[in-house]
Amino acid sequence: MDMSFIITVSNLQKHFKVSRHHRGLTGALRNLFSRDYELVRAVDGVNFQIRPGELVGYLGPNGAGKSTTIKMLAGLLVPSGGELWVNGCVPWRERETYVASIGAVFGQRTTLWWDLPVIESLDLLEHIYKIPRERFRHNLSEFREMLDLDPFLNTPVRSLSLGQRMRADLCAALLHDPTLLFLDEPTIGLDVVAKERIRQFIQHVNDQYGTTVILTTHDLSDVEKLCKRVMIIDHGRLLFNGELETLRDRFGGKRELVVDFAQAYEDTAVEGAQVTEREGQRVVYQFERGSITASELIGRLSARYRIRDLSVREPDIEATIRRIYEQRLLEP
Amino acid sequence: MRLFWELAKLSFQRQLTYRAATLAGLATNFFFGILRASVLMGLYGARPEVAGISLAGAVTYTGLTQAVIAFLSFFGWSEVMNSVYSGEIGSDLLKPMNFFTFWLAKDLGRAVANFFTRGLTIMLAYALVFDITWPSTVVQWLALGLAIVLSWLLSFSWRFLVNLTAFWTPNAYGIIRLAFTLSWFLTGFLMPLRFFPKWAVQFAYLTPFPHTVNTVTEVYLGLVTGPALVGALLGQLLWILVLIGAGQLVLRAGVRRLVIQGG
Amino acid sequence: MWRVLDLYRRLLAVQIRAQLQYRIAFWFDLLGTAGITTLEFGTLALILQRFENVGGWKLGEVAFLYGLIDMAFGTMDMLFSGFDPPFFGQQVRQGRFDQLLLRPVNITLQVLGSRFEMRRLGRIAQGGLIVGAALALTKAHWTLAKVIYLPVVFVSQVSFFGGLFIVGATITFWTVESIEVINIFTYGGNEMMCYPMHVYPDWMRRFFTFVVPAIFLNYYPALYFLDKPDPFNMPPFVSFLAPVAGLGVLVAALAFWRFGIRHYASTGS
Repeated sequence: MDMSFIITVSNLQKHFKVSRHHRGLTGALRNLFSRDYELVRAVDGVNFQIRPGELVGYLGPNGAGKSTTIKMLAGLLVPSGGELWVNGCVPWRERETYVASIGAVFGQRTTLWWDLPVIESLDLLEHIYKIPRERFRHNLSEFREMLDLDPFLNTPVRSLSLGQRMRADLCAALLHDPTLLFLDEPTIGLDVVAKERIRQFIQHVNDQYGTTVILTTHDLSDVEKLCKRVMIIDHGRLLFNGELETLRDRFGGKRELVVDFAQAYEDTAVEGAQVTEREGQRVVYQFERGSITASELIGRLSARYRIRDLSVREPDIEATIRRIYEQRLLEP
Repeated sequence: MRLFWELAKLSFQRQLTYRAATLAGLATNFFFGILRASVLMGLYGARPEVAGISLAGAVTYTGLTQAVIAFLSFFGWSEVMNSVYSGEIGSDLLKPMNFFTFWLAKDLGRAVANFFTRGLTIMLAYALVFDITWPSTVVQWLALGLAIVLSWLLSFSWRFLVNLTAFWTPNAYGIIRLAFTLSWFLTGFLMPLRFFPKWAVQFAYLTPFPHTVNTVTEVYLGLVTGPALVGALLGQLLWILVLIGAGQLVLRAGVRRLVIQGG
Repeated sequence: MWRVLDLYRRLLAVQIRAQLQYRIAFWFDLLGTAGITTLEFGTLALILQRFENVGGWKLGEVAFLYGLIDMAFGTMDMLFSGFDPPFFGQQVRQGRFDQLLLRPVNITLQVLGSRFEMRRLGRIAQGGLIVGAALALTKAHWTLAKVIYLPVVFVSQVSFFGGLFIVGATITFWTVESIEVINIFTYGGNEMMCYPMHVYPDWMRRFFTFVVPAIFLNYYPALYFLDKPDPFNMPPFVSFLAPVAGLGVLVAALAFWRFGIRHYASTGS
């Protein structure tokens, strides 16, 4: 086992036996006497390795096997096959000791005690995780400031807004200095400002403490802003495991060049790119990544026209991923 | 009017889909029935009859009390409270139907389904296992039918009224639970009210509760006949009117409060 | 060991504080529970006034059984609230059980500490009063041995009911639909054990002797305490089997619980 990786996953499998329900009255009778089982391969031979300090996005459509993988990584679920090492342990075998080294935040529900003021929940966690008093105080005061928890530290969790609850949950997840942090939909339902704040915090934690972060999300701007590396899973298999840049390059599709001309030209055609929008002096060109580079296109344009300002627009990562799913651009 | 029957039918069908829960409920009912019957037999000892009820009648009584549990939502019903707390009440009130009637229709469907799946079934199971009594005359059967319908109406009006406390407090569930529990003592669910001293029975009859289970029991067992029978049925009717009236008044006050407070 | 107890204490303190927050609701619940227990017993007393005895047992004797079971069940209900099958089933369905698995603390301890219903104190206190009244009404002769054995029986009863709750909670890993059936054993067992077992049909009594050993927890110890003869002529030592029965059920329940957790970890639902 290579210790330079914090997570090693090798041919990981998880199968579920799902009973097939027959329909109708005769079906109901059949159900009583026999149960047909269908084998669902939620995770079907997944391999990857993650180095300490990485911030990895884990993407996939619903039902792809994301949460199943995460549950196995967190020690909640026992794999059907393959090998899994995190922090040098097999998570599900040593649950009680293992979970002390990880933290988790779920966007859909809180890890804190519903009726208690936030601070009391955090105090309780100090004892649950056996955090040394000084360390607890230090972490708490730092996170309080970074996440601006003071305004609602004494408010019961049930009275918090979604944004406040997420911040409290993040603090709770990091108090015990976990080496690995699982984030499941951490920005779901939040407004733009709150999302940005959470993302900045995650980035900071990753930079400052070297905490490895695995981020599962449907919000692809989270991915775009935070992750250099992504893994895409579908039907239990990894479709992609690499840099976000690579994903963009290979499947990004068309890029755009937004040009503000010095005057309103009548004919703004240029070789290698298509005009998709035009308003007064502003023209938007679309061009293929493979067929022409941005600088080439700019060169051609400036040879013909006088340009006042321009910018390059990268393809929307969301559109990219959608294309990958829909057009099955990646097959395992 | 047709909307009423549509709602009732939907509710009826829905209740029938809870198969596993119904079976579990039946098993529970049956067990408790046997328990209660055994205790009553232990109480009777060698006596053939107490307060006009024979041993067979007493055993039948335990079956009856189990049979009405599901039918009358005896152990709790907080649908209207849920509607108030979830805010659904807003859209409920906008429906082209009186709020009370709306819930009445839904409860009718549920009650009828429960009557068959957890009412009749219990009595039939009892008939197989025990020596039970049945109403002897046609008049008794008719009166029983009427008493059963009236007991349902009464139970519903009371349940509806109690749920309205949700308009005034966030802790309505605790109040409802307490109200239900207290009502059990007065309905004649634990023991036929006749077994209790006169003062207790008189006290119970100050409330609407005995007019549900106890009245049905007494009509079934033929303990009230002639004018007393008519009196019992009229008593049910009277309380129904009182509770519906109270319900309407309280509802209006509650809605007013809701509108002013903004939910 | 100390850490475990300390954590448990803290988890309970959290519950108690949360419940005391809603002061009105708490007192309301407490008095309500006490009131209802009183009414229940009052009903029994009035009935026995008319019938004089149940299966030959007079009011004082029945009250002894009744009060003791009430106290034990109420205590269990308070301590093992976390395992209350409908509540636990909900926790599992809503993903809160997963939360517990993510904490570096023993699971059973966490479930025990997840809920502590203080309002049961009303029932426990009432049960105590009923036992007190019963002891005044009965003319049994009390020896030192009996005084020592009584709390043993009480603890055994709490373990027994606790075991039933744990079994019910474990079943919710598989299904929530038919969970009402467990009521037959918990609440049904509770009510059944309030009366002398010889009034029940033979098949029922045999079931609660050989399959679920309830009879050793109330009836036989009561025969011993109240100096009553055994209508079934079992050997006298059966009155002292209460701790065996209570602990046995609890141990078996915990084994089933561990099995349930393993199953949950392999199927995730």
